[in-house]
Amino acid sequence: MVQLPERSGFHGTVAKEVEYAQLDFIANPYMTVTVGRFLTPFGIFNERLYPVWIRNLQSDPLILPIGIGPSNASTGVMLRGGFRADPKFNINYAVYFSVLSTASPVNSDRLAGGRLGIFVPAARLEIGGSFQHGLQDERSNAFGFHALWQPPILPLDIRSEYARSIVGSGYWVEAAYRLNQVPFLQNELRRTQVVARMQQFFVGENASDALLPMNTKRFEFGLNYYFIDGLKASSNYGRQFSTDGNKNVWTVSLTYRFVVPLGHAGSE
Amino acid sequence: MKRRYILLCMFGVTAGLTLSAIAQERANSTSSWSAVAPAPTQGISAAPAAAPPSAMAKPAADGAENRAQRLEGEKRFRTNCGRCHQAPHKFPPRVMATAIRHMRVRATITDEDMRLILRYLTE
Repeated sequence: MVQLPERSGFHGTVAKEVEYAQLDFIANPYMTVTVGRFLTPFGIFNERLYPVWIRNLQSDPLILPIGIGPSNASTGVMLRGGFRADPKFNINYAVYFSVLSTASPVNSDRLAGGRLGIFVPAARLEIGGSFQHGLQDERSNAFGFHALWQPPILPLDIRSEYARSIVGSGYWVEAAYRLNQVPFLQNELRRTQVVARMQQFFVGENASDALLPMNTKRFEFGLNYYFIDGLKASSNYGRQFSTDGNKNVWTVSLTYRFVVPLGHAGSE
Repeated sequence: MKRRYILLCMFGVTAGLTLSAIAQERANSTSSWSAVAPAPTQGISAAPAAAPPSAMAKPAADGAENRAQRLEGEKRFRTNCGRCHQAPHKFPPRVMATAIRHMRVRATITDEDMRLILRYLTE
């Protein structure tokens, strides 16, 4: 919302989008067929960490627009699944094909790609990679890597992602620590989480409206307070450094997630 | 002055909604637990006192197996779901089954993990 000259109050536009509208068919324990509009499985942030009640910092990573298409989603078909490949690790995968759609707000690009991840439950560690091939305009490739680690003995989340394409490249590393183990004010501190994220973006050969136009570095620090599972207050401060000038980034939010069952939700 | 008044109203509404949401969530959580979750040792304590040892052995074994599966389900929940989610939200079993089926696809968890987590969240 912005305050326009010679007008009172704040004005802006209401953003509307269809994040996903998909039909899943669980074909067997190893594979699910998805058709419709789905969040593009490139990296981890767009598909898993994007919901505001899950992300640790409310601001998006600078590299988020790489590899996810317009409006963060694809329209087409996807095969995905997860299975235990060995007693020590699981494998998860997703391969997809998306068609071109220019109908807003369900626009998407024509592309094909996939993501593969290996998850080690004992260490709570996942590493993986993503690949994507654009099939319209310039036929370019994009690839990325991701890692998530949640040490079993600490209430610590470490998440990281790297992405590279013709429009740019970059990475982010985020650590979030829940103050469960602090010996005083336990009722309050066990609900409190401190977060830090460092990220860098490098401009590519082609420009993209969705990405920043210059090389940028940003440090962010956040503080989250979980009232209950679905209600969270967040705040974060960041400092952004770029050739265009340095600036502060402030975010304050209150997130409430609710579920309304459709139909009968009996006790059986 | 007008802007201050609007901000004050917004703050009041936000605070009211927050308190209302907390109260509602706590009430839902308590009622769901009391309606859904049986005591872990229910199978054993509900057995008649005069029942013969052989009749009591099977429920006791079932109870131990249930407890083991529930513990394994909790472990799988923390390992898989705990990477993104906080402590489990309590819903009726049908709602939970739908949510878990959705998350199985979304988070690409394995079929076995899904079944154990569902058991943990609904028992």
